[in-house]
Amino acid sequence: MNGRTKITRVTMLSLMLAASFSEFLVAQESGSASLEPKQPVDYGRDVRPIFAAHCYSCHGPDKQESNFRLDIKSHALGQGDFGELPIVPGDSRQSLLIGYVSGKDADLTMPPADAGGTLSTDQVDTLRRWINEGADWPDELAGDATRKTMSTDHWSFQPVVDYPPPVVDLETTGSFPLRNGIDQFIASRLALNGIRPSEPADRVSFIRRIYLDMHGLLPTPEQVRAFVNDDSDNAYSNLIGQVLESDHYGERWARHWLDVARFGESTGYEVNRDRANAYFYRDYVIESLNRDKPYRDFVVEQLAGDAVGVDEATGFLVGGAYDIVKSPDINLTLMQREDELADYVNTTSTAFLGLTVGCARCHNHKFDPILQSDYYSLQAVFAGVEHGERQLTSQIPAGVLESLAETESKLEAQENRLAEMRTAFPVAETTTGLLPTVNAKLNTDSFETVEARFLRFTIHQTNQSEPCIDELEVYSTEDINVALASLGCSVKSSGDYPNNTKHKLEHINDGKVGNDFSWISNTQGSGWVQLEFPEIVHINRVVWGRERNGAFADRLAIGYAISVSTDEKVWHEVSGSRRRLPFLVNGRESEDEFIGRLTGDAAAEATRLVQTIKQLRESISNFQKSIPVGYIGKFKTPPVTRRLYRGDPLSPKEEVVPDILTVLGTLGLQPDEPEQNRRLKLAQWIASDDNPLTARVIVNRVWHYHFGRGIVSTPSDFGKNGAAPTHPELLDWLTERFIEHHWSLKWLHREILSSSTYQQSSRPRTEALSKDADCKWLWRFPLRRLEAEAIRDCVLQLTGKLNSKAGGPGFLLFKIDRENVHHYFPLEEFGPEQFRRMIYMTKIRQEQDEVFGVFDCPDGGQAIPNRNQSTTALQALNMLNSQFVIEQAGFLADRLAAEAGEDTESQILRAYDLAFSRSPNDLEMKDACELANQYGLAAFCRALLNANEFLFVR
Amino acid sequence: MHSEIHSRYLLNRRSFLSSTMTGLSSIALAQLLASQNLLLGAVPDKTPIRPNIDPQRPNLARQPHFAPAAKNVIVIFCAGACSQIDTFDYKPELIRMHGKPMPGEQVVTFQGGQGNLQKSPWEFKPRGESGKMVSTLVDRLGEMADDMCFIHSLTGKTNTHGPGENFMSTGFTLDGFPSMGAWVTYALGSENNNLPAYVAIPDPRGTPQSSVNNWGPGFLPAVFQGTDFNAARPIRNLARPQGIPGNEDIATREFLKRMNERHLAHFPGDTELSARIASYELAARMQLSVPEISDLSTEPEHILKMYGADDPENKLKSGFARNCILARRLIEQGVRFVQLFNGAYQTGGEGTSNWDGHKFLKKQYDVHGPILDQPAAALLKDLKQCGLLEETLVVWCTEFGRMPTFQQGASGRDHNPAGFTAWLAGAGVKRGYTYGATDEFGYKAVENVATVYDFHATILRLLGLDHERLSFYHNGIERRLTDVHGNVINDLLTRA
Repeated sequence: MNGRTKITRVTMLSLMLAASFSEFLVAQESGSASLEPKQPVDYGRDVRPIFAAHCYSCHGPDKQESNFRLDIKSHALGQGDFGELPIVPGDSRQSLLIGYVSGKDADLTMPPADAGGTLSTDQVDTLRRWINEGADWPDELAGDATRKTMSTDHWSFQPVVDYPPPVVDLETTGSFPLRNGIDQFIASRLALNGIRPSEPADRVSFIRRIYLDMHGLLPTPEQVRAFVNDDSDNAYSNLIGQVLESDHYGERWARHWLDVARFGESTGYEVNRDRANAYFYRDYVIESLNRDKPYRDFVVEQLAGDAVGVDEATGFLVGGAYDIVKSPDINLTLMQREDELADYVNTTSTAFLGLTVGCARCHNHKFDPILQSDYYSLQAVFAGVEHGERQLTSQIPAGVLESLAETESKLEAQENRLAEMRTAFPVAETTTGLLPTVNAKLNTDSFETVEARFLRFTIHQTNQSEPCIDELEVYSTEDINVALASLGCSVKSSGDYPNNTKHKLEHINDGKVGNDFSWISNTQGSGWVQLEFPEIVHINRVVWGRERNGAFADRLAIGYAISVSTDEKVWHEVSGSRRRLPFLVNGRESEDEFIGRLTGDAAAEATRLVQTIKQLRESISNFQKSIPVGYIGKFKTPPVTRRLYRGDPLSPKEEVVPDILTVLGTLGLQPDEPEQNRRLKLAQWIASDDNPLTARVIVNRVWHYHFGRGIVSTPSDFGKNGAAPTHPELLDWLTERFIEHHWSLKWLHREILSSSTYQQSSRPRTEALSKDADCKWLWRFPLRRLEAEAIRDCVLQLTGKLNSKAGGPGFLLFKIDRENVHHYFPLEEFGPEQFRRMIYMTKIRQEQDEVFGVFDCPDGGQAIPNRNQSTTALQALNMLNSQFVIEQAGFLADRLAAEAGEDTESQILRAYDLAFSRSPNDLEMKDACELANQYGLAAFCRALLNANEFLFVR
Repeated sequence: MHSEIHSRYLLNRRSFLSSTMTGLSSIALAQLLASQNLLLGAVPDKTPIRPNIDPQRPNLARQPHFAPAAKNVIVIFCAGACSQIDTFDYKPELIRMHGKPMPGEQVVTFQGGQGNLQKSPWEFKPRGESGKMVSTLVDRLGEMADDMCFIHSLTGKTNTHGPGENFMSTGFTLDGFPSMGAWVTYALGSENNNLPAYVAIPDPRGTPQSSVNNWGPGFLPAVFQGTDFNAARPIRNLARPQGIPGNEDIATREFLKRMNERHLAHFPGDTELSARIASYELAARMQLSVPEISDLSTEPEHILKMYGADDPENKLKSGFARNCILARRLIEQGVRFVQLFNGAYQTGGEGTSNWDGHKFLKKQYDVHGPILDQPAAALLKDLKQCGLLEETLVVWCTEFGRMPTFQQGASGRDHNPAGFTAWLAGAGVKRGYTYGATDEFGYKAVENVATVYDFHATILRLLGLDHERLSFYHNGIERRLTDVHGNVINDLLTRA
């Protein structure tokens, strides 16, 4: 043991796992005694019979639905899968159990109809009272004297162990050289099962295998010949080195990761709009692989690339489908947001940790030590992440940053000069005699006494939004508020805030203050109210405010005028904001206001400064527009995250802090931890040498793609419901070395490719087949069909049409009709752009490539760690009859004619050399020539493109 | 228990052979015990059942979990959210309150503000012995009311089309999950080895909003996805390519077969290779059988007439009618699952080519009603008269319902997932029966409220499948069509 992991064993986990069932109770009686009102409920006499008769069949010794049992005290008083307590002693209203048995929730009435139906009112009352009285449960009836304490003894949570490779009895291995530790572990396990490993594959098979596996392309005849004829000791290691150095490696293996990351380039769902700039992430993955970026950095960048200068990497977070049609029903919209967050949590936890944390969204995980609150702790890490575009600061064109800095410093100089001027001409000096600035609470406008029948309060500017006034008072010379409706004053306005009950016009003169009794205009920044007094009044003062209790300071009228009239025709302005000190925005008066009160040279200079500042700001904005944006997600200040009862956004429970799984420790973050730091800290924890899962998971993924099956055959589930490793020691040994080699994926590839295990022949052997048909002990290299992308790439390579243009915007296989909903129409003609490698195809959800999509090609709807390998008639039809393949068969015929001349035999020879890396035997030659001579070379080429020998890695 | 999970190898003949015996015998034993009531009172076994698939014949018929009422299914899916108010959910109170605001609090709408209650522009009439009130918009379907089993109390989880279609077709509002048809063919295979086991028949106007998601395989193997074609548009790449003569085609394929067999000789016993050879043979059989089944020229004139396939005026109707005939022909040949779409989401705006009648309900439904009505009613009648209805379940559904009110400033109805109608007909379901109800206006399900999960559970039950057990292991989860929800609606079944 190297002490790599610090596992906190939490007693809460005791809820999760099955305990010993050595002791169980059998109900002796059913029904409940009718109780005298004051008599306390007795568990043994009153409660247990109800449980036994109605609950034990599903929550008892034989069965524990929702991991909950009522026959054992410690279980019954725990939380099962619910994430909260079914029985809260002393509080029946907080107890889920009572909610269930009382039938409050029609969906979840317990016991269910098919298990004996509901409890009687008396029985429910008994349970309610028992809980309210403290749920006393005598220990002698606890039922679990022998219950084991549970722990996280699941293998994948344990520290990685540095097992020494076992000593292998060479008698058992035959002609299988032990080249490295992998071979020792594999051979030893095979020996245990009485199976011999296979001899090494021939060189032609091996070079085809390594090219198809590592590049998804065929080796050229020249490469094959060079390797076959290389009799140096380093022939294999040189070949492996060449293969790993080629950039085709990243183009091939990025596809695997993009499956895991459920990466697609359209929104999915009903509108399915394309994401034209999502490809930055795809290129990032290819480049990271080609540069052999340490996997731990790859992890950190994808979760927090914005924190480490690799913006495009966060395309991982938002690579999934995203429902942009928001429901107007707030409940449904909240659920949509929950689904988005679940996508971030699930993808992160399955991709990096091999844990199905998403299962704990509604209840504690049924198999793994993951609490429901853990799910929400992780959700809190991503609570500020949103779908959308962001600037790629790492992709800024040359010179832009410099120009930007220069412009910004010019701007700063100009702004400084303006600030100096503001200091030189302070507001107070030029504005003596003015009323104080308006304030949100209360303002008084006094003026010379005037006669008025009408008074109009007109607003032309607010600090923000539609103006609000909570009360408008007008005082007569007798100091009476003549505006009150109760005194007969009527009111009208320019328009009132619609669809609400608080902000009504009648509130403006109802004598009540505060936001709940206020008027709001229906126009942004303006509006008016007009009072009509029952008779001519003599007034000298208006008192008004936006919210006299001080609760709100928005919607404040900062530009306003008060006018009076006796006939509603001729108006006199008696007061207004022009009589007040300017309202300061961000602590100062506006530029226009400032210039407005200056004269002479000062006014000219200030005008010039303001103009220059405006221009500089514009050019900064233009520079910023030239910085590319990618579909790599947006980050905002995260709201508080709460655990949701049964995953329901309408049932928020306690607040949770951003964190990792309880069982694996804590990040020690604050509830209000800054957004980026949440992701960064999580990423660093995932990518740490001490994490027992991360390195194991990626080592297993790499193994999975090499052999078609992982050491753990469920690559995204290392939990209890996943498969157990076939070679646990090998997995740990490789993981340990992988970490030692600085998480280098190329090191790992080399180790695997160099092993005799990988280099074995793929020929089946009857005796081995009978013992291990699935080849899980790897007695041969398991043969497999190529994936959709590799088939297409190989076809193009073979016909000489493959366009090797790498990176950048992808090619489209569709013409897009970009309405609100995007419609995709398959192209009918293909050209060089469509002949690029399929990794560069813009991956539109729900719209597969018409020919190759049916080869189990995922469309990015859900993460696919493990593609199916089905064989269907539609695949056969597409490969035989599609326009694409027929056209390519023609190209191949042209190529053969061009390279091998007119002679059919030479053409066939060349075709075999290109497609199968070998020469045909006499029978094959004869057969092929007959077809080609009778029906033309293209007929032969069409068959060739359909051949198993072409489509399988062997 | 889970050490043998390897979904990638689901279609691996080797593991198929090694697991067949135990798998089948355990099901057989359960059936035996059940038939003798030995399981009565015991806690029902809910362990997952994952079918064993023979990779060379992945669509071979497989045993259900218990005796089925129906052997195969036709789903008629009205895309765009067909209004229950104007078809099958009769509400006298709505007529009485016509033009008045709906009592109660303001409801949430999708597109526009809520206007006043609006009775259906179509009259309702009592039908058949059951006296079921059905509108004249679907007059001929109404004549079949005695054969239908209505559910008026369905509820959905979304009020947008894409997620709504996903939900009805896959049990999840999210993208990427297997369709009901894929689940059924995964479980049961097919009775016909020359045709796809699962056929999706898009409307003559195009595909629905959620497009291929409605018949996609999700994470199930691709072999279980719906093959989409209709009477007018054959399977893609089915035909021999233009410019390649028949004899060349045959010679090429025979050459290919010899090539593949010689290659197989180097890998004796490898079934991945032989399965691929077999797939070319199925493709060849499909090339014969699919054009034959799509060729309606052998249908007698009175049948074409009954469906409306001869209507020279209404091309969309005759097109849909031909799709309906195709559906019957497929079922006749033992195809397991047929999904017949009525309505498409193509260019042209809402409600133009599907049931999304937000603004001009009367005008648009007067177009869509006749396209659906006669052909779908004829399909039901035809299945009945040839006896196929006894072993076929016909399902009529849509993604959600519509409001009893019109939208403000429009003469159409907004989305409404709070209560909508579907019906079943045929094998194993009650005839002329009505289950559940919406409130007095048809807005919200109030009686025997049912979920789409319940609906799916019931359909699987009719096919002899336990929705809680039919399972596929994916990413650590035993996935089910009904996720963790759903109860069979026993009230709908002739024998529960």
